[in-house]
Amino acid sequence: MSFGDAVDLVIGASVLVVAIVALTVRRRDTAVVLFLVFGVLLATLWARLAAPDIALAEAALGAGVTGALLMDTITSSRPREAASSRPWPKRILGWAGGAVAGGAVLVALVAAVRSLSEPQGSLAQSVDEDMGRTGVEHGITAVLLNFRSYDTLLEVAVLAVAALATVSFIQRQSPAPPEPWPGGPPLAVRGLARILTPILLVVAVWLLVAGTTRPGGAFQSGAVIAAVLILLHLGGWTHAVPQGRWRGWGLMVGLIAFIGVGGAGAVVGAGWLVLDPDWAGTIILALEAVLAVAIGIGLATIFVANRTDVRPGGDDT
Amino acid sequence: MNTAELAMILGVTLAVVGSVGTLVIADLLRRVVALNIASGGVMVVLIALAYRVSPDEPDPVPQALVLTGIVIMVAVTGVALALVRRIEAHETAPGDDDREGET
Repeated sequence: MSFGDAVDLVIGASVLVVAIVALTVRRRDTAVVLFLVFGVLLATLWARLAAPDIALAEAALGAGVTGALLMDTITSSRPREAASSRPWPKRILGWAGGAVAGGAVLVALVAAVRSLSEPQGSLAQSVDEDMGRTGVEHGITAVLLNFRSYDTLLEVAVLAVAALATVSFIQRQSPAPPEPWPGGPPLAVRGLARILTPILLVVAVWLLVAGTTRPGGAFQSGAVIAAVLILLHLGGWTHAVPQGRWRGWGLMVGLIAFIGVGGAGAVVGAGWLVLDPDWAGTIILALEAVLAVAIGIGLATIFVANRTDVRPGGDDT
Repeated sequence: MNTAELAMILGVTLAVVGSVGTLVIADLLRRVVALNIASGGVMVVLIALAYRVSPDEPDPVPQALVLTGIVIMVAVTGVALALVRRIEAHETAPGDDDREGET
């Protein structure tokens, strides 16, 4: 067993252990922090499994934005007592039943995994062969933005719908968007926002352009843009994330632009979302920029909507 | 048993453990965490499938699926947390319902 294999084993075992502990601790904040550790370990595992794009995205989105959402939910509600409301026998029965059923399913799935036949790799071959006419040199970008750009369009739509759903669940007492901090943002947060915003914007643009030839692309760039918008909102620049009248437009701009590009392809080009090999590189870069902004605004809107929720019990943090 | 198979077994275990957690855990926020862990497990399986094809040049199609899946998972978590807040706000102050006064 080489050193690399040993490292892989340690990372894999750590992922499993952290996940199981995160599921079984009683306190919410411990579970959330352990989930953040799980996200970082998962990103490392994916880097070891030759998926650097996914590692970037998981570190930024899975551990970053999801962690921010969970942390915000914990700190803005009253601390819950660890005592469960269900009686002891029912809880043990629930866990035992779950363990038995889960164990049976696990055995079946592991057997299925062991009995998989050799991979054909035909899809990877097709991607490789047709890469020349996609306008990019990176496999994932070609798949996401050229071969399966329809799936990416639907993903933008799902994000917009999710942001609209989150916004509509939130009740507020006054119609005006409230300040994120009751007494003004702390000095540390304001200073951090000032220092980090230009750096993160440069990183976001670099990730966007780098996606054509190496790991990177619209999704990772969108995650960094979401982080910038959230940071600006928390730092006191509440107009960074569109609210009020502009919120609906902010959410729809990515979707409308994407559909516009596809429609333009249908009208003047070869078909709906078919990219002409001569123009493909430019159009993909434009689509990626629109996508990154749409993802950034969508995720930031979800975070801000959750944060502006009325706190039960009037507990302002 | 090579790396890809081990990773797939890990992914399947995470998915099952996370799914059981989603169904059995009573606390709503921990349920959302369990759902995220389950989806992480499914993603590990997909990445392992991509790795299996060739460790040097992994299959980009499952990786693209996972990338889209991560973004959608974050959005779904956001919606789920908004629902959690609504449910818990209602539980702490149940009298705020509009249909108060039913016998």
